[in-house]
Amino acid sequence: MRAETPFNQPQIADESRRKFSIEQAIPNLVLGGAVLFLLGIVGYPLIWLLLGALGLPKTFTAAPLLRVFTETRNLTPLKNSLILAVGTSLLSVLLGVPLAWATARTDMPLRRVIHALVALAFILPPYLTALAWIILLGPNAGHFNRLLRWIFGFSEGPLNIFSMGGVILVIALHVFAFTYLLTHSALQSLDAPLEESAQVLGASRATIMRRITLPLVAPAVTGGALLAGVDSLALFGPQALLGSPAQISFLPTRIYSVLGSYPPRYADASALSLILVLLTVIGLTIQRNYLERQSFITVSGRGIRTRVVPLGRWKWPLFLFCALVVILAAIAPLMVLLLAAFSKVWTSPLTPDNFTITNFHAALISNQISTRAILNSFKLAIGAATLGTILGLLIAYIDQRTNLRGRRVCDYLAILPLGLPGTVMAVGLIQAFIRPPIQLYGTIWILLVAYIARHIPLAVRSASGALRQIDPSLEEAARITNASWLQSIRLILAPLIRSSLVVAWLLIFIPSLGELSATILLYANGSETISVALFRLNDLGQLEVVAALAVFTITVILVTSLLLQWLTTRRGSQITDQIQVT
Amino acid sequence: MSESTLSNTDQSQRTTRRTFLRYIAGGTALSLANALLVACGGSTTPTAAPASTTQAATTTNSPAAGTASAGAIDIDKAKKEGVVQLYTSLDTQIVDSVIKPFKDKYGIDVQYYRAGSAQVTGKVLQEADAGKIQADMVDASDVGAFLELKRRGILTPYQAVVGSAMNQFVAADLRDPDGTWIADRLTQVVIQYNTDLIKTPPQHWKDLTDQQYNGKLAFFGSSAGDSAPRLYTLAKAFGYELLESYAALKPLRVDTPQLVTQALEKGERAATFNMNDNIAQRSKLQGKPTAYLFPDEGVPTEPGAAGLIKNAAHPNAAALFFDWWMGAEGQKILVEGGKYSSRTDLEPPKENPPLKSLKTLILDYAEYQANRPEILQRMAKIFGGEWGV
Repeated sequence: MRAETPFNQPQIADESRRKFSIEQAIPNLVLGGAVLFLLGIVGYPLIWLLLGALGLPKTFTAAPLLRVFTETRNLTPLKNSLILAVGTSLLSVLLGVPLAWATARTDMPLRRVIHALVALAFILPPYLTALAWIILLGPNAGHFNRLLRWIFGFSEGPLNIFSMGGVILVIALHVFAFTYLLTHSALQSLDAPLEESAQVLGASRATIMRRITLPLVAPAVTGGALLAGVDSLALFGPQALLGSPAQISFLPTRIYSVLGSYPPRYADASALSLILVLLTVIGLTIQRNYLERQSFITVSGRGIRTRVVPLGRWKWPLFLFCALVVILAAIAPLMVLLLAAFSKVWTSPLTPDNFTITNFHAALISNQISTRAILNSFKLAIGAATLGTILGLLIAYIDQRTNLRGRRVCDYLAILPLGLPGTVMAVGLIQAFIRPPIQLYGTIWILLVAYIARHIPLAVRSASGALRQIDPSLEEAARITNASWLQSIRLILAPLIRSSLVVAWLLIFIPSLGELSATILLYANGSETISVALFRLNDLGQLEVVAALAVFTITVILVTSLLLQWLTTRRGSQITDQIQVT
Repeated sequence: MSESTLSNTDQSQRTTRRTFLRYIAGGTALSLANALLVACGGSTTPTAAPASTTQAATTTNSPAAGTASAGAIDIDKAKKEGVVQLYTSLDTQIVDSVIKPFKDKYGIDVQYYRAGSAQVTGKVLQEADAGKIQADMVDASDVGAFLELKRRGILTPYQAVVGSAMNQFVAADLRDPDGTWIADRLTQVVIQYNTDLIKTPPQHWKDLTDQQYNGKLAFFGSSAGDSAPRLYTLAKAFGYELLESYAALKPLRVDTPQLVTQALEKGERAATFNMNDNIAQRSKLQGKPTAYLFPDEGVPTEPGAAGLIKNAAHPNAAALFFDWWMGAEGQKILVEGGKYSSRTDLEPPKENPPLKSLKTLILDYAEYQANRPEILQRMAKIFGGEWGV
């Protein structure tokens, strides 16, 4: 990759160009380093995925790839995964868009609470939600089913969470946060004058919605739905917990099985993984082509003002809908886990006799694996979030602010992990890092690499979405007034996209703290994480302890998010002050 | 299919040459990998445990474990190593209770990786592929897996380091003639049911194929195929039709026996045709609304086995723990946890009949191992879902 003039530099006088020659090398070094790092953690394992699919290094054959398309045991999971992705995408739009509109643009009551609860739904690790949903909707013993039978007198059921519908519902209640968050921020950054001018010209509310608002947020909606669908492909936990009991297998659970048993079949696992990579590339290409036809600069140097739509008599029906969604997505699962965490026996009601805190003692103090796991998860999540955010910003910057050759490849590379279920990521990482030159298998470092690689798409998308809305002229203005490259980023760009960076950090930190699907294949003795402890304890039927550890983890994540948000808001205003002083 | 023997002499004689060649190949690959590792400076792994004779000569104190056999283990070195990495498929409550007195006695910590048998084996094989096996000792309730580990040259004969005294307590067909693995426990597969939901308890395997159990059954069957050996045992004894009849009743499938019990305890399902005796026993002793039985027509018996990893990082500590694990003291703790010991000198677990009174069905694991891919595929065809194939 050549780095001669990597970005559209404004014309600067010869004198100052010579003066800042070292400084001019900095962007190339920083950006080049980012590219190399990205190649190492995503590209290199992907190459091994390709080689592995051809049976290398042991043999060289196309048989594993052929098997994917010829054998029913491979085709069925492929079909199921496609149904899952489409189902969750659609459901995420149905759930996410009305909620986003309601909280961003209307006078609906408790908007902030609903917004926070969607965030909570995203925070809850989906395999824990799935566990909670088994308690709620188990076909015979589930609380909700028992309630329905009691009311309506069904002899059994009536709802079965162990089904395709169940998997789609539980996963959609997690991934709709993508659609929601993207749509929400797009709606919030729409400048009111755009809609107001239409109103002045006599357009009806519906017309404004159809002709102005929707087209402007459509990329966010499709982008969100796409992310939701692609992410749902990767959620091994709920697929395994809810699909496997009903003999429904998906590509990740299939791969887990192929690699988890003996002998580990790298070739088949790699071949199946490539199919998912293919699905992702197709999805992203569609989204990209669609996005490129639009202009999105809706944020300019001026401040923005959004328009609030008065709901009138629709206020309460809309609120009820929003409340129901967040109850299903966050409150009910959390309540179920809370009750179990404080119960001696989780199947019985939480009476004073049944109340205990020993589960927390077991989870946090007496169980060795659990305590070690907590420490490991914190180290990993903080490391991955910090490195990942920086890397994400740099990659997004390369894509949008430079004309570096191959920047598209870079962007695709940074997006690809989204289509790699953790299991698949693990397949690539195992094959890449069990052999020289870089042997990380069996150490905690392979988990750090996995977490950064796995979540880098979220960071890039966040930064990228924000950059797309910032006119480059703002940084150019800074550069013209002799600010260095780093200064222009630090003083102009970073403050403007600060909230996006915080979101990116959280988007990596939160799932890293509970990452299961890659971890379960990559961890070794000593590098157990919270998710491993949870998964293994659950395997052993110790649901009360699982619930206690889950409640602890969720609490920590919540407190961290709130603290971080508070800190950044404060520091943010200081930076603004600084800029004004200068 | 024989009822009480693991004997596979015919099989092993027939395959000796091939096995030998494979062994050589596997061994070569492994030592190459190790050489590479050492060359890269990436390993502090001590070299293979030296022949027992030289070690025995330098040994001053001998462990007081139940086998009274482990004269060859160097306890000082073991203590210096300080830790044993155990990969096991045993219930962690039992593992914890076996480890605790060992740790109290020697001050040596035992860290364990716990997963299903097939997963434990898969993990060891993956680490072998990486040229760096973290485990010092492996325990899994799949003798077929041990045949595979042996074939790959991953195991070191325990007899050379621990001695062979423990052999006298374990039937010859429950251990490797070359001493690379030995059965440590025998798990019986039982029928378990919820006593609130089932008023007339099932007596036989066939009883659970009745239509009244439609949507009411659960069974243990992880995606790695952990439970295939026992289901195959049932199929060999009573025909694949039995399994097909179960499958037709849409049984709920979960990853571990512990989760099956959980499903029965909370009334999510009424009965299971695939449950470990010890987990069923624990549930009953804890006063949960469950009961279990050993059908007269025969119960699959699944031997769990243990072996030591060749070129392990903590060979002496592992040998000491292996001796403790197989010794009378360690095995008694297993029995207290509900397991039948493989040792003939120990009582059966509380409330459970002596093994002699049961008609036990044990697989010919060499045959199972040879046909494993086909067997797993057949299970996948009957039950659907993933079976590690």
